[in-house]
Amino acid sequence: MTNPASSTPIIEIQGVHKVFGSGPDRVVALQDVNLTVHAGEFVSIVGPSGCGKSTLLRLISDLLQATQGEIRVNGKTPHQARLDRDYGFVFQAPTLYEWRTVHRNVRLPLEVMQVDRSQWRERVTKMLSMVGLDDFHNHYPWQLSGGMQQRVSIARALVFEPPMLLMDEPFGALDEFTRENMNLELLRIWEQTGKTIVFVTHSIPEAVFLSNRVVVMSPRPGRIASIVPIDLPYPRTFETRESERYFELMTEVRETLKEEFTKAV
Amino acid sequence: MAESVTTAPEQALAGGVLASPRMRKGLTVVGAILAVIVVWEGAIALLDLPEYKLPHILTILQAFVEPTPKGPVYQLLLRDALYTGFEAVAGFAIGGVLGFLLAVLFIHSPLLERGLLPYVIASQTVPIIAVAPMVVVGMGQLGAPPWLSKAIIAAYLTFFPVTINVLRGFVSVERDALNLMRSYAATKAQIFFKLRLPASVPYLFTALKISATASVIGAIIGELPVGSTRGLGVQIVYGSQFNTFNPGFLWATIIAASLLGMAFYGAVSLAERFLVRWRHP
Repeated sequence: MTNPASSTPIIEIQGVHKVFGSGPDRVVALQDVNLTVHAGEFVSIVGPSGCGKSTLLRLISDLLQATQGEIRVNGKTPHQARLDRDYGFVFQAPTLYEWRTVHRNVRLPLEVMQVDRSQWRERVTKMLSMVGLDDFHNHYPWQLSGGMQQRVSIARALVFEPPMLLMDEPFGALDEFTRENMNLELLRIWEQTGKTIVFVTHSIPEAVFLSNRVVVMSPRPGRIASIVPIDLPYPRTFETRESERYFELMTEVRETLKEEFTKAV
Repeated sequence: MAESVTTAPEQALAGGVLASPRMRKGLTVVGAILAVIVVWEGAIALLDLPEYKLPHILTILQAFVEPTPKGPVYQLLLRDALYTGFEAVAGFAIGGVLGFLLAVLFIHSPLLERGLLPYVIASQTVPIIAVAPMVVVGMGQLGAPPWLSKAIIAAYLTFFPVTINVLRGFVSVERDALNLMRSYAATKAQIFFKLRLPASVPYLFTALKISATASVIGAIIGELPVGSTRGLGVQIVYGSQFNTFNPGFLWATIIAASLLGMAFYGAVSLAERFLVRWRHP
């Protein structure tokens, strides 16, 4: 599998503006954003803090609503897509419920969505196995490391088999070594499941390593500065990080960000 | 448990028997009791206090075993403590449920919260000792059993910490924990039962521990008015009336009352340790 992305659009964003507050407190978080994500694609959104990348993800997931413009998710409004449980969301913090064991945390969406009880155990077990936590079913969140907690969070986002995974700086709080391992894990899961992934990060190496395309955003107001296609072959490995092309692409993304920054100043 | 087993020998080697945590804890308790005795008896000796102002500790201990027509004093106090305890538990239950329901009401209706919360707070500024006789006499006239009026007063002191703390527990939920539920298109009821309610449990227990001791005080205050026949409150009134002649007895009733409060607090703490097991120890 070199590039599992199809040409079927699954997320379409047209002329989207997002404004917070009004009067003197008015902040334009996003300005005229246009983006299409295809089914099965891995798209990263990078940019400095305050560029509206998290806001964009929350508009797609209907956790926030656009001030202007149109968003279609799976051919529906974001609101309908949320009601249809078309996506799993992974937050920057693992956001596990501390009173639930690992097993019961992963089970949570199945309970809420009233999935047939007889399937619970099998599906949770399968997910925990996929993220390499077979031996941690009965642990409580505080007993796990940050990286393990985020694995639980990913298992929880995938257990109800949504077609899309929306990830908001999921590895931002992890150390570099854990993060690189998690990147490999995530690619394996992506290739295994064929999900569409929209991944917000402020790490250029991470974005380039993971994605089919990297969306570069500029701050205040948040706009898409450019979209960089990443032609590194899959499956990507430790060696990918040492390839010349990897460094060229990182430089390309970095240059774009630098240009935007100079413009802003 | 397993941890202390493995570390105990190491600690014994490192710092002798005194370094074992259990030993240190025991010594602290003994030390505290000794300190109280020294200060107590020291005050009597230094200030030359007569027995009716501050009796010797031995006088108080003797008061416990003094015979009465109904058996020794400790037996009498135990019976009364059980009765007061029953009133307190009844009031604790009524107040706990009421306080919890108020919190549920407030979290779902900010309008009601704004409208009613000031009254809830005002209710706690009313001196309970002034209101208690009215409640006891009034309910007595309505034909309620005597324990019920005392339980109501206990409930009056119980519900407030529960409402305030549980409400805080409900809103303590992090924004993304709530967003997670929204991303599942969860219903209001699901958000309540699967997120807000379990998140509020540690807050609930903080409140219940305050309420446990407050409900004992409430029940005793309810027993103070003339006309009550049973309970530690009655013995406290009796003890203070005859304090000059029998100085140890009043202090015996006070000790009985505080032991009752501590037992109730301990029971709630035990329930907490059993029910809130997910917490980082």
